[in-house]
Amino acid sequence: MRILVVEDERKVAELVSRGLKAARFAVDVAAEGEAGWAMANTYPYDLILLDLSLPGIGGLELLRRIRLRDARVPVMILTAKDATASKVENFEAGADDYLTKPFAFAELLVRVKSLLRRGPVSQGGTIRVADLEIDRLTQQVRRAGRRIELTPKEYGLLEYLATQPGRVFSRTMIVEHVWDESFEGLTNIVDVYVRHLREKVDAPHPVKLIHTVRGVGYSLSEDSAL
Amino acid sequence: MTVRSIRFRLTAWYAGLLTAVVVALCALLFLHLKSYLENTLLETQSRRATQIANTLVAKEESTGEAYVSRAVAELYDPEKSDRFIRITAGDGRVIYVSGVPFSHAFDPAAVPAAPASPLAAFTRKQPVAGGPALLIAAVRAGGGASPYLVEVGTSAAPVETLFHHLLLLLALGLPLVAVLAASGGYLLIHWTLRPVDRIAGKAEQITQHNLSERLPVPGTGDEFDSLSIALNRMITRLDDAFLNSKRFVADASHELRTPLTILRGELESMFHEGVPAPHRERVGALLVEVERLSMIVERLFALSRLDAGEAQSEWVRFDLAELATTTAGQMTLLAEDRRIAVSCEAPSPVMVHGDRSRLKQVVVNLLDNAIKYTQEGGAVRLRVLASQDLAFLEIIDTGVGIPPEDLPRIFNRFFRVNQTRSQHPEGAGLGLAIVESICNANHCEIEVESVLGKGSCFRVKLPLAA
Repeated sequence: MRILVVEDERKVAELVSRGLKAARFAVDVAAEGEAGWAMANTYPYDLILLDLSLPGIGGLELLRRIRLRDARVPVMILTAKDATASKVENFEAGADDYLTKPFAFAELLVRVKSLLRRGPVSQGGTIRVADLEIDRLTQQVRRAGRRIELTPKEYGLLEYLATQPGRVFSRTMIVEHVWDESFEGLTNIVDVYVRHLREKVDAPHPVKLIHTVRGVGYSLSEDSAL
Repeated sequence: MTVRSIRFRLTAWYAGLLTAVVVALCALLFLHLKSYLENTLLETQSRRATQIANTLVAKEESTGEAYVSRAVAELYDPEKSDRFIRITAGDGRVIYVSGVPFSHAFDPAAVPAAPASPLAAFTRKQPVAGGPALLIAAVRAGGGASPYLVEVGTSAAPVETLFHHLLLLLALGLPLVAVLAASGGYLLIHWTLRPVDRIAGKAEQITQHNLSERLPVPGTGDEFDSLSIALNRMITRLDDAFLNSKRFVADASHELRTPLTILRGELESMFHEGVPAPHRERVGALLVEVERLSMIVERLFALSRLDAGEAQSEWVRFDLAELATTTAGQMTLLAEDRRIAVSCEAPSPVMVHGDRSRLKQVVVNLLDNAIKYTQEGGAVRLRVLASQDLAFLEIIDTGVGIPPEDLPRIFNRFFRVNQTRSQHPEGAGLGLAIVESICNANHCEIEVESVLGKGSCFRVKLPLAA
């Protein structure tokens, strides 16, 4: 999978490309609009990460050009602006997703993976972590073959943690992803839901899957060393 | 009308001064007029006395005293003209005295003899028991070495009567003038000061949220115009200062995002690439702080957007009661966790206009605060009610309450009650500031009542949708 990162902030570009490379993606970096356009025109990318405030031709203009040439390549926008109006404008210009700085890299990776999975099987597929099975199509959860009844929020939380087993998700990321924007900053709600989720998912089993990384957040993993 | 108001003070000064001037003027006029009238009367009496002296008394030696008396009585007929005439010989014998006049104003026989005087002619004011004084002019004439004294007098009654009338007029007129002056003055001052009321009223309405409004300039070119214009310039400067500080917050929170992204990303990758155990915990602690910093920056940015009025894009008509019930439902787990009972009294529908997700944030923030600052086992009540054209959203807790001295500041950015700072260090003091900004952007009013140790009640008032 090959990803193009168009970002003029060198350190951010480095960080993103390093992280993506660690996740075994092939990554190219362009530091300004024209270079980005030239590269997007030359190579068949599977995904483009685009900063909006670019020198030369702006991010929005680059997005329009990319869309004119190829309607299918997923484009995710990285930006420091988050006004609702410009968000709408960006989606209209053809962005597939939108991430506001400062973002957590884990969040970026979750979204990149979900964009790449898009297509006919976007919502489907079963996630397996040890003996835990999450059927994304029917939203059913089984552990050791036994069905677990979860509330919609509990399911959302579990599914989000399971998108990247082993990675630590911060409370803020979880709130932003599982709840809506009205709950922004209300991280204590996460602790309560995780506790309830644990009772249903982990309590009856000797191997615990949901881990608390003290001070940082939560992760779902077979490996208890985290 | 208060005693300290300019209206009252100016009117009092004006009416008082006017009354004093009128009184002084009248007193002066009276004194002058009285002496003038009396002198005029005395002059007439003098002329008459001189006439009698020159035409009759001077010829006494040839005509005899009896003739003089008869001639005076015939020629001057003093009783009819209310006059007093007396001729006294040099040895004190009265050779003629007029009879009681028709008006009975005085009794000529009772008038005492003229006082001794070396002068050939003199006047006096002779008091009369039980009536106005007599104005008498005396002239010496004839009789050789001991001349006769001719006295002619008249009653001062007309002068006195005139003065009584004038005094009465003044006594009645002065209060009337004073009242007229006071009410006229008050109306005039009131009319003049009306722009001050308008300016003050408007100035009272201008807060940090509508600094773009200006005071009315009456356009009369007077001092109030200059006052309004000067105040408006001051408001403009305030507006600029506010805008600058808002722009600064917006720019700062914007500019902080990229470095925060880098910081967060680098720390995350350190954390995941497996730093040795002792450092791992420290990197984790750094990540938490970076995340908190990011949240503060996020909230500041949200506030600056609300300030700039950029956050009203999703204006819809919705049921506030339904929103409150749903939100309370989503947060009951949070309350149950602390054994706090959340009750929700919100009979649907209570339709309002506004940005639904922003107003939901208000409910979430207020409910979260209520749960956070209520001891375990306490209760939180959420109420939505409609009355006339207003919808009320109330969040009532049995929590720690807010010290009265802190109440006016709880909506300030970064303000935190001292006690809560130590108990809940993770907050930044922006939650209620955001709530207030959302309320302002949605034309809602928010108020708070609190009793320390008993609990608080936050009340949001918003107009009902038609």
